[in-house]
Amino acid sequence: MKNSRTICLLIFIGFCQVALLHAQTIRLSFIPKYGDKAMLLSDSAFKANDSTDLEIAELKFYVSNMQLLKNGEVVFTEGNSFHLLDAKQAQTLQLSMDTKQPITFDELKFDLGIDSSSNVSGAMGGDLDPTKGMYWTWQSGYINFKLEGRSKHCETRNKEYQFHLGGYQSPNSCLQTLRFQVDNPNRIALILNVKAILDKLDLAKTNHIMSPCTEAVMLSQMVANAFKVSKN
Amino acid sequence: MKKKLILLSVVCMVILAFRAANDSGIKVPANFPKPVYDFSKNPLTPDKVLLGRALFYDPILSRNNQISCSSCHSQFSAFTHVDHALSHGIEDKIGTRNSPALMNLAWQKVFMWDGAVNHLDVQALAPMSNPLEMDENLANVVSKLQATKLYPKLFLNAFGDSVITGEHTLKAISQFMLSLVSSNSKYDSVMRKQAAFNDQEQNGYTLFKKNCASCHKEPLFTNDEFKNNGLPLDTTLNDYGRFGITKNPLDSFKFKVPTLRNIEFSYPYMHDGRFKKLSQVLNHYTAEIHQSQTLSPELHKPIVLTSNEKVDIIAFLLTLSDKSFLFNPQYFYPKEIFSKAAKD
Ligand code: HEC
Ligand code: HEC
Repeated sequence: MKNSRTICLLIFIGFCQVALLHAQTIRLSFIPKYGDKAMLLSDSAFKANDSTDLEIAELKFYVSNMQLLKNGEVVFTEGNSFHLLDAKQAQTLQLSMDTKQPITFDELKFDLGIDSSSNVSGAMGGDLDPTKGMYWTWQSGYINFKLEGRSKHCETRNKEYQFHLGGYQSPNSCLQTLRFQVDNPNRIALILNVKAILDKLDLAKTNHIMSPCTEAVMLSQMVANAFKVSKN
Repeated sequence: MKKKLILLSVVCMVILAFRAANDSGIKVPANFPKPVYDFSKNPLTPDKVLLGRALFYDPILSRNNQISCSSCHSQFSAFTHVDHALSHGIEDKIGTRNSPALMNLAWQKVFMWDGAVNHLDVQALAPMSNPLEMDENLANVVSKLQATKLYPKLFLNAFGDSVITGEHTLKAISQFMLSLVSSNSKYDSVMRKQAAFNDQEQNGYTLFKKNCASCHKEPLFTNDEFKNNGLPLDTTLNDYGRFGITKNPLDSFKFKVPTLRNIEFSYPYMHDGRFKKLSQVLNHYTAEIHQSQTLSPELHKPIVLTSNEKVDIIAFLLTLSDKSFLFNPQYFYPKEIFSKAAKD
């Protein structure tokens, strides 16, 4: 009796090892930057330059539906793939994906934002819990991307700008699909250059987007273009 | 052999009927269609409904702990804000719309007069966060609930977890609202052939089917669509209805067609509560239709009704009152829970 139990245990451990050998962990980190400067946020706002005329106070966004591809074919799809990234919480910027088998891939694909079917599915948990501050309240729908701060160019209360981008219904669907060729597959680093977004905006004119609209779609495209693979 | 087969199929049918009831989570009245709500994602249980009921009646959901959902949705008026044209919220702030009656929400696709809310589960976020209503936010509500003695226990009973989340809070509130089913009016008895209309009600029913039922569709008395029913714009509110959500000019002045069940008790009427009496509503449809581009085609030609016919339609509308709903103890303020909690 005892013997057979030990044997079972050994076989089990053996299996686990085989499984472990075959599993592969892919680490993906997101690095918010302002031009060349690292941009980690804390309770005090990030000052883009010394004269403090541009500040970034909040940067939060969803990435979802992670997939890995080889020669254009999907080789891995992450289950329950919804991640809320918050520049104030460094640990949220590090993602890891475990594949069951070893895979080779040359491309990463994901969505910036939350797909339309999740937007009409009622209350959800985890990173999608509406307590996370990324759900509109007066109107249903997730905020895909949030960027807030101040600029001397804004003639608004406290010189604030606020961009809450989202919307899942056409023609104002803001969801963006991003694809990147990757050559160091087990560690991928993506830079989000906030300067590239803000430089293209005239903050005196555009400083407040808080609901689904054409501007939100345009800005979402600009945000998508501000992601780049880090070369080092 | 044949008998056995028949018996077997009857047994199967009974089992299937119960299945259907279990899947849906609520008993579907015989004369009702299939609910729209997907109960598989939030199956009803007595403990969850009870938790939702406690939350619905608890002012802890508001910033100053004074306004509950029931402040604007009280049972005796079919869960509307009786006598208030525009709802009153926190610190007596006045909202911009009339609070709708709440019932048969499991059959409703979209919520709010303009359809701003796409799912019942996320409905509660709107009043909780509205600065004119409860002026709170869900994250705060969750931490206030967690700090009580009462709620971690109720959440444990309901969800098997005493750690409170936004998802569970919203789903519980939904469960209570889903349990608000009104299907025992005289009209329903007539449809189930358990009662009969009198002549006046019968005539009213015939006129109703001809003039009103295209929008106020039986048996829920709404087709769940957005229509412009010819109300002139109130320039103190400038409410363009559905347009505010879709930004499509073709949606200007369209509002969600409301149910007419329990209409006797849910006055005042329309999205801004502009009419106090049903007779005013009928005068609107016969004499005061405001022509505009988005006016629903049914109303382009005036509805012609004699004053007797109007009275008959009203007599029919009163057959939609459901006392067993308005006084159902399962929807009452859950005294047992709160008084026990106060003692603990
Ligand atoms: C201050 C008054 C007020 C409070 C408090 C309030 N509501 Fe409402 N409720 C309203 C008004 C007004 C509307 C219609 C709003 C609109 O159409 O824009 C409404 C709409 C609704 C609807 C949509 C009904 C339909 O047929 O579309 C539901 C469901 C609802 N409320 C549930 C709740 C719940 C749950 C709470 C508590 C978390 C709550 N309400 C708190 C006033 C209130
Ligand atoms: C073209 C569609 C349409 C037709 C036909 C129609 N209604 Fe309506 N009804 C509506 C809409 C839409 C509203 C809500 C309008 C608003 O508040 O802006 C409404 C509101 C009402 C209300 C107020 C309900 C509440 O809870 O506030 C009553 C009562 C009513 N209708 C009765 C009738 C009667 C009786 C008839 C037939 C004589 C009729 N309706 C025909 C679309 C229609």
